[in-house]
Amino acid sequence: MNTSSPASNGDFFDPSKPVVRRSMAFSALGALIGLAIAGYGLFTAKGTQSHAVPPEDLALVNNRPILRSDFMTQVQTQFTVPFAQSTPAQRRRVLEDMLAEELQVQRGLEIDLPSFDPDVRTAMVAGVELEISADVLAQQPTDQQLRDYYAAHRTKYVSQGQLRLRDLVAKSGGAARTPEQATSDAQQAVAALRAAAPVEQVMQRYHLVDSGALLDAGHVDTGEVFEFAAKAKLGAEVYAAAATLQGGQVSDPIPQSDGVHVVDMVEHRMPVQEDYAVAANAVWTDFKNDAQTQVRDAEVRYLRSRADILLSSDARALEVLSP
Amino acid sequence: MDTIGRLRPVRRRRSLVFGLVAIGIVLCALGYWLQRRASEARMVRLWPVQLAHDPAMLSFAVSLARPVYASHCARCHGADLNGKRSIGAPNLADSVWLYGDGGIGDIETTILYGIRSGHPKAHNVTDMPAEGRTEQLSRAEVDDVVEFVLALSRQPHDDAASVRGRGLFYDKGNCFDCHARDALGNTDYGTPSLVGPGWLYGGDRQTLRQTIYNGRHGLCPAWIDQLTPAQIRALAAFLYVVSQPASRLAAR
Repeated sequence: MNTSSPASNGDFFDPSKPVVRRSMAFSALGALIGLAIAGYGLFTAKGTQSHAVPPEDLALVNNRPILRSDFMTQVQTQFTVPFAQSTPAQRRRVLEDMLAEELQVQRGLEIDLPSFDPDVRTAMVAGVELEISADVLAQQPTDQQLRDYYAAHRTKYVSQGQLRLRDLVAKSGGAARTPEQATSDAQQAVAALRAAAPVEQVMQRYHLVDSGALLDAGHVDTGEVFEFAAKAKLGAEVYAAAATLQGGQVSDPIPQSDGVHVVDMVEHRMPVQEDYAVAANAVWTDFKNDAQTQVRDAEVRYLRSRADILLSSDARALEVLSP
Repeated sequence: MDTIGRLRPVRRRRSLVFGLVAIGIVLCALGYWLQRRASEARMVRLWPVQLAHDPAMLSFAVSLARPVYASHCARCHGADLNGKRSIGAPNLADSVWLYGDGGIGDIETTILYGIRSGHPKAHNVTDMPAEGRTEQLSRAEVDDVVEFVLALSRQPHDDAASVRGRGLFYDKGNCFDCHARDALGNTDYGTPSLVGPGWLYGGDRQTLRQTIYNGRHGLCPAWIDQLTPAQIRALAAFLYVVSQPASRLAAR
């Protein structure tokens, strides 16, 4: 038995005998197959530089594709003819336009246009928001979902109340009365008004003036203002006192920085709870807006979680980034 | 020694045959794969109108598309392509198309970018407004428009209400704006014909009332990032083929 005898040509295909040439041949074959697979992957993977235009593309501009389908749509849109009936000249024109557009977009990114052009930034933000909220926009809520939402947010669906009132003030400070005098005048004015004395007469007698807060609000003929407008113009404390008054009632004196206020409510139509049938349209809009806001906030939280944000010490003090 | 010596040539021949068979199988598989890739590339490169007139390539596209349709589209449009009215998924086997003229290019665009999919290039000109819920029309007016649509589609209807509905269609409801003056729809907007029978959600009285009162917002996803260009082109060709009246296809 001679295991170390040199292999002959006939032993190449005999697996029981070690043959150097066979080992080398298989190694070379394996290397070639490996290289072929690697080369194929390298030159066809998405994002790799390629000198061949993929079949679905009409052109590559710095490796960015111009899709055939986009090209066809553009031809049809630009010349309002079916693509099959478009002329070579029309197609050439569209291709040149698309190439120019792609080059300009790439130039915009190259010079980092989004970093300084507010219009580009706005467009990008709007585009991203639209993309992340696409599912929400597309979703059609069921009637039950809307009713549940309405039940959970009933306080939002209240009709706007309307007010007609006089906001009188006993001014104090400076050359005018002391705060104590103003309070005393206001108390007497309140008593007189509650005793149904005419407003003008009370104002004259106790030196009260109209605060002027509502002079530019409300209907010019009736003096009515919506609740939200009254709240904005009267200030929180005066409005809080007014909100509880019915028509014909007079508030207690309300001390403010400019003097002591007295609210004489002429007429007050209170806010009314709207039932679902009336509020349905607003419920639908609010439901969609809330869902959109939730998706947007979740996306921003996710982006923050993966972003590397460094804050200066004074920015940290602002605590703009909630955990 | 003699026995072993006799066996050696047999084993050698067997190894050779097995090796050649294995190499042959690998080469055949590689050839098939390359040929298929080349066919896919050719199918994608062809302009849609050229593909529509190439029976061999259409046949190849159909064979490629069937499994893709089954795994991605059948859930909404049904394995039989007849659509699903409960979700407004249209019948793909008839020759009625919401967008474009039903050519391969138009179908391909819809598959690529979808309908109200959120993709910036999606079909998204408009959707069916909630005429009742937004109080554009009162409940009674919605009912009148329903009767008019029933009349248009030659279904039993109330004549007087239909006449009132006709007025609303062209005036307060602004229906004609999207569905066209002849009520045959508009393939630029994707608005359906109202003369039936190709209803998206159904053409009965109750469904029409629901549609007009609450509006509709049908959608189709964008497949551009989920399917390969060849699969999308093949699907477009497949849907083009199955939606063609048999006579036209046979003539071709």
